[in-house]
Amino acid sequence: METIAIPAVNLAAIMPETVLSVVGMILLLINVFLPTEKKAYLGYLSLIGIAVSLFYTMNGWGTPQEGFNGSVLLDNFSHFFNVIFLLCSALTILIADQYVQREECNHGELYPLILFATTGMMFMASGTDLMTIFLGLEVLSIALYILAGFARNNVKSNEAGLKYFLLGAFSTCFLLYGMALTYGATGTTKIAGIAQFIAQNSILSKNPILLVGMLLMAVGFSFKIAAAPFHMWTPDVYEGAPTPITAFMSAGPKAAGFAAFLRVFLVALPMFKAEWTSLLWALAVLTMTFGNITAIYQNNIKRMLAYSSIAHAGYALVGFVAANEVGVAGILFYLLSYTFMNLGAFAIIILVGKKGEPNNNVSDYAGLSVKHPALALAMSVFLFSLMGIPPTAGFVGKFYLFSGAIKSGYIWLAIIGVLNSAASVYYYLRVMVFMYMKAPEEDFAWLKVTPAFFVTVVIAIAGVLVLGVAPQYFLKLAQIAVMI
Amino acid sequence: MLEYVGLIPLFPFIGFVINGLLGKKIKNEKVVGGLGALMVFCSFLVSSGILLQLIGRPAEERIFEKVIFTWIQSGQFKADAGFLVDPLSALMIMVVTGVGFLIHVYSIGYMHGEEGFYRYFAYLNLFTCSMLLLVLGNNMLLMFVGWEGVGLCSYLLIGYYFHKKSAGDAGKKAFVMNRVGDFGFLLGIFTLFWYMGQTHNVWTVNFREIAANAHLLPVGGVVTLIALFFFIGATGKSAQIPLYTWLPDAMEGPTPVSALIHAATMVTAGVYMIGRLNFIYIRSHEAMLVVAIVGAATAIFAATIGTAQNDIKRVLAYSTVSQLGFMFLAMGVGAFTAGVFHLMTHAFFKACLFLGSGSVIHSMHHALHHAHSHDDPQDMRNMGGLRKAMPITYLTFLVSTIAIAGIPGFSGFFSKDEILWQAFSNPFHGGLNIILWGTGAVAACFTAFYMFRLVFMTFFGECRITAKAKDHLHESPLVITFPLMVLGLLAVVGGYIGLPKLIGDMFGGIPNYFEQWLEPIFAGSHEFTLQQLAHAEVHHSHALEWGLMGASVVIAIVGISVAYTLYIASPQIPKKFTDAFPALHRAVYNKWYIDEIYDFLFVNPCKALGNFCWKGFDVLVVDGAVNGVASIVRGFSSVIKNLQTGYVHNYALSIVLGVVTIIAVYVIR
Amino acid sequence: MDIQTLFFAVVAAVAILSGILVITCRNPINSALSLVMTFFCLATFYVMLDAPFMAAIQVIVYAGAIMVLIIFVIMLLNVRVESGKKYTHGVLIGSIMAVLLLFEAFYFLNRSSLTGARGMIDANVVQNVGHVELIGRAMYTDFLLPFEITSILLLVAIIGAVILAKKKI
Repeated sequence: METIAIPAVNLAAIMPETVLSVVGMILLLINVFLPTEKKAYLGYLSLIGIAVSLFYTMNGWGTPQEGFNGSVLLDNFSHFFNVIFLLCSALTILIADQYVQREECNHGELYPLILFATTGMMFMASGTDLMTIFLGLEVLSIALYILAGFARNNVKSNEAGLKYFLLGAFSTCFLLYGMALTYGATGTTKIAGIAQFIAQNSILSKNPILLVGMLLMAVGFSFKIAAAPFHMWTPDVYEGAPTPITAFMSAGPKAAGFAAFLRVFLVALPMFKAEWTSLLWALAVLTMTFGNITAIYQNNIKRMLAYSSIAHAGYALVGFVAANEVGVAGILFYLLSYTFMNLGAFAIIILVGKKGEPNNNVSDYAGLSVKHPALALAMSVFLFSLMGIPPTAGFVGKFYLFSGAIKSGYIWLAIIGVLNSAASVYYYLRVMVFMYMKAPEEDFAWLKVTPAFFVTVVIAIAGVLVLGVAPQYFLKLAQIAVMI
Repeated sequence: MLEYVGLIPLFPFIGFVINGLLGKKIKNEKVVGGLGALMVFCSFLVSSGILLQLIGRPAEERIFEKVIFTWIQSGQFKADAGFLVDPLSALMIMVVTGVGFLIHVYSIGYMHGEEGFYRYFAYLNLFTCSMLLLVLGNNMLLMFVGWEGVGLCSYLLIGYYFHKKSAGDAGKKAFVMNRVGDFGFLLGIFTLFWYMGQTHNVWTVNFREIAANAHLLPVGGVVTLIALFFFIGATGKSAQIPLYTWLPDAMEGPTPVSALIHAATMVTAGVYMIGRLNFIYIRSHEAMLVVAIVGAATAIFAATIGTAQNDIKRVLAYSTVSQLGFMFLAMGVGAFTAGVFHLMTHAFFKACLFLGSGSVIHSMHHALHHAHSHDDPQDMRNMGGLRKAMPITYLTFLVSTIAIAGIPGFSGFFSKDEILWQAFSNPFHGGLNIILWGTGAVAACFTAFYMFRLVFMTFFGECRITAKAKDHLHESPLVITFPLMVLGLLAVVGGYIGLPKLIGDMFGGIPNYFEQWLEPIFAGSHEFTLQQLAHAEVHHSHALEWGLMGASVVIAIVGISVAYTLYIASPQIPKKFTDAFPALHRAVYNKWYIDEIYDFLFVNPCKALGNFCWKGFDVLVVDGAVNGVASIVRGFSSVIKNLQTGYVHNYALSIVLGVVTIIAVYVIR
Repeated sequence: MDIQTLFFAVVAAVAILSGILVITCRNPINSALSLVMTFFCLATFYVMLDAPFMAAIQVIVYAGAIMVLIIFVIMLLNVRVESGKKYTHGVLIGSIMAVLLLFEAFYFLNRSSLTGARGMIDANVVQNVGHVELIGRAMYTDFLLPFEITSILLLVAIIGAVILAKKKI
């Protein structure tokens, strides 16, 4: 009987993912023997895993590794995204402990689940086979469904988990159907193979099957990055999910969605550029406008940031529409800075929150600057960055996205984007007005800044300011990364 | 000295950091305030050194660029964090640090005993730092950083008395309106950058490099677009029509803030920017015409509103809007030097006026407080006869008022007259010149009127507060009057560095030093004009120039005499007038209802749209499907049931709707 | 119409009908049994497409194992027959959407050549080499990594089931 020749595996290509999933499984085993009050150790152990994974990621910069018959390609593009994912999960783990203790959902499975979700995100970024990308997305999604419903005794959290699951499964169907149609039209699931096939059979670009496949994949990814009109789940899920998980979801998975979106569309489907840029143009405008206008009327700060994260996905789409070196590098840079500013803002939301989360309203921040000036200042820095005011990272990121759009001739898109970001000032500023210009109503006595939070906020502030003041180094990295 | 230009914004920043972090602990007002003022004074010293060094150099070597580090670089795009010192920015840093220092000193006295004294000085220092960054930045992006920074500080300082709701609202209004302007500025940067890059392969945001490549820009067309984008930014920051309404509201802030930010420095940033980018504007007559018309319209519009206000600071606020209109008029008729000149003299006399009004309010406040009266200390109808109680304030205020009214011999005359003359004689706008000049002249007449109305109502006549309160009226301490005296002096002599050629020739050919000083900045534009417009060299007769000068003097005197007649000689007339034309008076008093119109046109529709999106999608679709959010709490099982039939159902529908639409658009077409 | 097409039409009709029954039956047991029916029809399609192994797996795993488990759970939990009002306006809008989607699907299928790229594996190859071997080969060569990721996916799903459903953790 002949043996199957297993292809060159090249473990180096999946090293960061392997490290994370192995650490996750070890943690699951340790978890069994840990008493509830000591679950935080799992967090520290997972940070070690993240550090090792980060080491492999950083170490591999500049030397692309291909493995598994072209199923996975660990190039600079995926390295850059891996850093975003690892950063996001590390910061989430740092802020999670206090929250889960307060909300009495201190189950040790939290940390392995975050690690598995991160593994899924990494496969989305480095996958060069539609199957790898899809399975990465599924690992991520299922982990997220569980994490969103993680606070078992909180009805809102249950609701969030279930809603996310139902809608996520629904939208996955579209993605999968799109992939199936693409496979049917081109006979391969390898991204490079699809590109090659389309290039050789240019008649195929007239074939509606491939076109519909492309459109349905766009729908599936749009759901993941919460672009309008596929964004409806976001506010409910973000509001109901445990706050650290909301922070995680708003930064990491969104970046992962963009990673897969970018790789599939830029590498495999450049022939359809005219179609997908016009589609994304409309989506970007809808997303920005809807997110910002609705955010204006939110009183719940988690809900407000949910709508704001929709708007930010819209800004990033502006760079995608531009589809040039500046715009796409801008997306990478923007997602990195968004990770810093959003996780920082959510860290402070967790600190200000009380058990059962009764005070998540903007008015609960009244007078924070009087009682905790440093926290209020930190929050202001994050809000300024979200508004896009120099010298913060948000400004440089937006500058890149919009100038990319102008470079490609989408002046109206840039105008709409800048107008939108001008409108967004209103609701971010409202938080600041409450923090700085209202008398305190509460004493904020419950507010306790643990070392983990201190580290998180300092990292986030440092990220926001360094990326804003000296962005050229990171921009260069992003530009190298997008040469895919 | 030039090498140390980085110190100029650094000193106030140090002050901000120390006061911001330690100010609350220091508690001693003298230390906090002294430190704040000292840091600005250090910047002033460095600026003076730089100015002297520049003066010592020949005119063509008076440009110096100091790059600190590369800020953003990627591909063709490069922006340094660096400073540009040239005659224009040297002038601006002198005004900012000089006037800024005086106002810091004044604030020590004025803000005495206020809660959050340290916060005030920290913000004020941060403002000075941002403003210096704005004028010194060597590229458009760095300028934008300063531009946003001053906006932020302005917002923080307007909302300084945050326990008053109106103060918080005013701060927010200023910030949001400024952001509307900023988007124009950003688009201007983008468009200019990509245009120069795409068509001429000049990828730069650096001012010097853009200026050096200005000849690549076409005349009109895209340049008009760029110029108008930048002008939108300027209208926001410098309170021009249509984005001016935030400035009068900004008077909610402490008075020294109004003097520094909303009169002398920040609001002139738009004028500075147009001066800096003069080579763009000179290439688009359409844009210049827009600038000139908006400037002239703002000048007269705000001046009419100023005539009917009773709050002393509001009169000054509308006066500022109006004077800024004059500066933009100057920019729009190509008289860049005159515009910048007016910027400088205006900084002197308007800062003095604001500080003087602060001194009056300070004194009134104390007097009313002692008398347990709840009258408004800022309402001019409560004042009167203050000249005896407050002689120094009165004198300096009077001098500045004469300056702003345009009486010969005082600084305002030279700058304003130059603007009006250029509006009349410029080669750009042809037949419209006479209208521009006429509008400016009428606005000048109104200016003289309402300023003297202010002086007469405040310092002359009978004191209208109770006798008990009157006894407590007293002159302010030296720390307040000293800056007044310095600024008053500058308001008189500041104009002599820019004597019109006509007058200079009379006194044995004294040159116009100011024009000579700024020559290197605007020379390119002047040359360009000469090439472009054959008739630009047309010489108007001296007689005409003298005649117009005389006319503007007569206009000022008319304004003053009307004010004298109405408020001193026969004070019953204004009452009769308002009785005769109640509708007109109401309209002017209510600022022509512009705020209400804006609310109706922009604010309310935006709110309604937001409301609709929220109610329409979230409340109707989401909550309406199930019986409100209350049912969520009914328990896990009922949630599942509700979810499957309510919420998710609708969300999924929205996804399907999206899919159907997308496929319909792309496949079926 | 040849016999094969006729057979396909009948099976497809049954599949669609039982699919509709899955979502319209009020009694969950009836729904589950209709789903079993749908799976059988799908298995028939696999046979018609020369994929006998897939058909067997479909019957054994889905119709056999999974559905039996689901029916056990329904019986054990004694899930009641769903009662209460239904959302009529949702059904209406949903139906309109479905009809539109169906129309679009017809439209683009009509206009496209379904034979995009043909693979190397046709009925003859399946006959000669064997379906199991072909699938095994694909799984251990081209799709080795996705196959491995699936194991993580299942692990995560198991954790999820435990976390969300176990009474005391």
